Amino acid sequence: MTDSLRQNRISNAWMAAAMSAIAFLLLPFGRPNRAFLEIDNALRPWNLDPSLSWLVWLVLLAAVSAIVISFLPINTVLKGNLLGLSGLLGLLAGVIWLVSTKTPFGMGALISMILLINVIGYGLSESGRIQSDAFVASSIIFVSLFIILFILYPLYTVLINAIIVDGKFTLTKAIKVLTGQRFIYINNPYTERNEAMLIGISSLIGGLAVAGYSIYNKLKVNKIVIFALIGAAIGFVVGFSAFARGALPTSIGLAAIVATTVTLLGLFLAILGQRTRFGIIKKSLASISLLPIITPPFVLAFAMIFLFGRQGMVTREIFGLRTNELFGLIGVAGAQILAFTPIAYLVIRGSVASLDPALEEASVTLGAGRWTTFRTITWPLLRPALANAFLLTLIESFADFGNPLILGGDRFYLSTEVFSAYSARFDQNEAAVLGLVLLVIVLSIFFAQRRWLGGDSFVTVTGKPSSGKFVELPRAFEGFLIIIFTIWTVLVLSLYGSIIYGSFVKIWGINNTLTLQNYKDFMNQGWPVFLYTAKVAAISAVPAALLGFLIAYLVVRQKFWGRNFVELGSMLSFAIPGTVMGIAYILAFNNGPWLLTSSMVILVLAFIFRNMPVAIRGGIAGLAQIDPSLEEASTTLRASSSTTLRRILVPLLIVPLIGGLIFAFVRAMTAISQVIFLISSGNKLATTLLLGWVEQGQLGRASAMATIMIFSMLAVISLLMLLTRGRGSRGIG
Amino acid sequence: MKTAAPVKLENVTKRFGKDVTAVDNVNLDVKAGSLLTLLGPSGCGKTTILRMIAGLERATEGKIFIDSNDVTKLPANLRDVTMVFQSYALFPHMNVFGNVAYGLEVARRPKDQIIKEVDEALAMVGLEGLGERATNALSGGQQQRVALARALVMHPQVLLFDEPLSNLDAKLRKYVREEIRELQQSLGITTVYVTHDQEEALAISDVIVVVNKGKIEQIGSPFELYTQPANKFVADFIGSASFLKAKYDGEILSLADYKIPFKQDIRAGEVIAMIRPEAVILSDDGLSVKVKTAAYLGSMTDFSFESAVGEVIANITGEGFMDIKKGDDLHLQFKTAGIHLLEK
Repeated sequence: MTDSLRQNRISNAWMAAAMSAIAFLLLPFGRPNRAFLEIDNALRPWNLDPSLSWLVWLVLLAAVSAIVISFLPINTVLKGNLLGLSGLLGLLAGVIWLVSTKTPFGMGALISMILLINVIGYGLSESGRIQSDAFVASSIIFVSLFIILFILYPLYTVLINAIIVDGKFTLTKAIKVLTGQRFIYINNPYTERNEAMLIGISSLIGGLAVAGYSIYNKLKVNKIVIFALIGAAIGFVVGFSAFARGALPTSIGLAAIVATTVTLLGLFLAILGQRTRFGIIKKSLASISLLPIITPPFVLAFAMIFLFGRQGMVTREIFGLRTNELFGLIGVAGAQILAFTPIAYLVIRGSVASLDPALEEASVTLGAGRWTTFRTITWPLLRPALANAFLLTLIESFADFGNPLILGGDRFYLSTEVFSAYSARFDQNEAAVLGLVLLVIVLSIFFAQRRWLGGDSFVTVTGKPSSGKFVELPRAFEGFLIIIFTIWTVLVLSLYGSIIYGSFVKIWGINNTLTLQNYKDFMNQGWPVFLYTAKVAAISAVPAALLGFLIAYLVVRQKFWGRNFVELGSMLSFAIPGTVMGIAYILAFNNGPWLLTSSMVILVLAFIFRNMPVAIRGGIAGLAQIDPSLEEASTTLRASSSTTLRRILVPLLIVPLIGGLIFAFVRAMTAISQVIFLISSGNKLATTLLLGWVEQGQLGRASAMATIMIFSMLAVISLLMLLTRGRGSRGIG
Repeated sequence: MKTAAPVKLENVTKRFGKDVTAVDNVNLDVKAGSLLTLLGPSGCGKTTILRMIAGLERATEGKIFIDSNDVTKLPANLRDVTMVFQSYALFPHMNVFGNVAYGLEVARRPKDQIIKEVDEALAMVGLEGLGERATNALSGGQQQRVALARALVMHPQVLLFDEPLSNLDAKLRKYVREEIRELQQSLGITTVYVTHDQEEALAISDVIVVVNKGKIEQIGSPFELYTQPANKFVADFIGSASFLKAKYDGEILSLADYKIPFKQDIRAGEVIAMIRPEAVILSDDGLSVKVKTAAYLGSMTDFSFESAVGEVIANITGEGFMDIKKGDDLHLQFKTAGIHLLEK
């Protein structure tokens, strides 16, 4: 090699390696319990059990040899390979020791091994295995390890807990759970009807109806058979969810009802918002679509108790009913429909807005009537967005936790069953089995969505409304849409109003005297929790936004082996139901080397990995608008990729970056399903406290807390709107 | 001031994925201080070659040397190479000074030195005093110069241009390319220049490399490429030409009945005669043709003729052709300087 100039180039890896060695020597490798910062001398490397402690010393050896290699007069490719190899060996040795001795990692292990990853990054970059600098190479490894440790490994433990009970592989547990009456209950002996037969009839009707339609349309025989089977399957699902009881049929039926209704409502509102003559409707739709972002997911549910419960304003005061009908499938479906309609609206809005009116006009000039135009032009163009909204709300409905918990009544639901199996029946294997079922259902939908619809706008539920001239809606149709919109708006506003009103009355429906007592109670018991939640949310928002942006940058701008893994893995955490992630975290991080539970750390980590995808989407959308040659120009001017990120990309993407930050914060403030598994006595969160109050019937102070939360989130979001106004930033939401 | 460095590519291949070979086994020598142009149609791989020299793409096979150091695997930010981008790639959140100073700031030069060097660079490209301007307040030509100043201020061993003039209008393009050539020669920087515009390539290059489908078709001086193209592709891409069926016996070139005494070292027999359009003369005898089209362009007239040996195109300067119409029978003769024979 003729490279005389750079043959003796000293690798900067020596600095990371030296710091790694220092951390190794100064800090204990393990920790005795949950306290992260405790220094236990027994866990210093030289005091460890000597039978395995040679593995620990390999970490130091790796660091020291990396220092030596950095200064060796050898060519860079060889040097890079040696650095990567020694870093990798040290890292593996440390991990193997932690896993085999089941010792929780200490600060010494954490810092020295993170710095070894940095050494590996230098190695990969200098050997040319990753065509970028050490910063990017290290980031790729970090991000991959994060995804493995905090997304894939927890899911793996769910699987393990479902099939390994008391240390032995067995399927009996899974079979027992899956055939239990709480899960599926088909033939109820106390009813006269035969549920199994009804389901069979329903399947038959579905199959025959579709087959008849296919024959009528003169399709080919093999198509008729396939369609008939699909029809029978749909008939089975309908019959199954209508007649059978238990968590599986209930959740499937609920999701089907909610997703269908919500998709239709979303379509109606999107058409209305785009084509109505009334500006006020457009404006109010825009603001109403913000509501689910700022509201904890179950607040509408308990507001519905105010309006439609036993003491409900509507049911009792107006209709004079004292009814518990709200508690059950009807109530949960109603709450979910109200909560998810804005999501479907946002997904469909973009497609409705991008419909070119000229297409419909062309169709009409070619002699097609209104209905033919809709069927042959408009419908096919909207179909992907509708399918997208449908699948998205299916997932949301399956994953929803708060609404079934509050309004579920005597029915069981998959997501709440996971929680009650773990926290009421103390059966983590049952929780794992149920979690696995939920996971399989939701991931099937997720991958179906990615396959058919390219995975677009899964997270980004913002479209790009363009202003065009649209054909006016037929009066009658517009009237129909306005009626739907009005009912929906009145319902939503009165629900929100009832929360605010409910926070000022003594006991809803019984003693309606106005009082500030609820706020005093909230200040006493809720305020510290609220502040603590804000602190956790704020702490987690920064790494969530930064990590999300880093992943967006790596995925969009860097080429490396495993890029698809990083993208898919990081988006996965968004699709996985919170309850599944919650049980997964509690199973994965409750003991052993990765002990993290009962601390703020695990809450922060949960929030980071749950909310990071929003920042990823924002980052991807932002990067798509920046000419890559800007970064290349910076690179050819000798800037490293970290300098380029800091000096070029961050300033140019500051608005979506702050947007990601704020959304991560708001989502953390309003999250419930995952963290309800992770809270501990000293680590309560506002939403879990709120849920507890609702369950105890402390609706007054719960309303006070919900009111405070809604208004403070509104303030935060308004701040963002103010900040991004006129900047044309998009892609966050 | 650093001395200019030679650049060398040895058997360089670049594949994207498994199937797409963007650059196929390319060998290249750029002499220190010279300006070499990569010329070819869009998608031919010329920009990929440039980006591999910059380090923005990595060669799949082969080696790249700068100043006899193997830089094949060296990241772009460690190479002593700067680039002027097609889109200029000016940082929109920095003013002119900030853009030009960026590389020096990244290198942590002292502040007063940065100010001095940026001022010099701006003066070099004729933008003195505009440092505080926002880049989007500049004209296209001025933005181009900021990009140039930003690349020059680093005193790179190698300067790269990726179609730098394609966003300028035709008149400005001519002016700026002369400026680039003057600056390059006065500074003596090794320069690799990518363009698809053959006129631009002829005007500024020491050496032109014609690239097609990832492969080098011919390397030579502008004069060599124009007068002695290696094949039909080069002849057609650089300037325009007629390609006529001909016979050659070592002494005499026969185009149907028209015979021309001609000397070229080529195997005797059936050949293709490349005729430049400006070598065509209207005459009383010679190759008999029929006029197909005639377009009066002011300083000259564009003709195309049908003949027994193929279509002949011609630019004929001067007056007096106004009465020539489609379908007229004429005779043509060819100046030998505008003839080059190609293997059939």
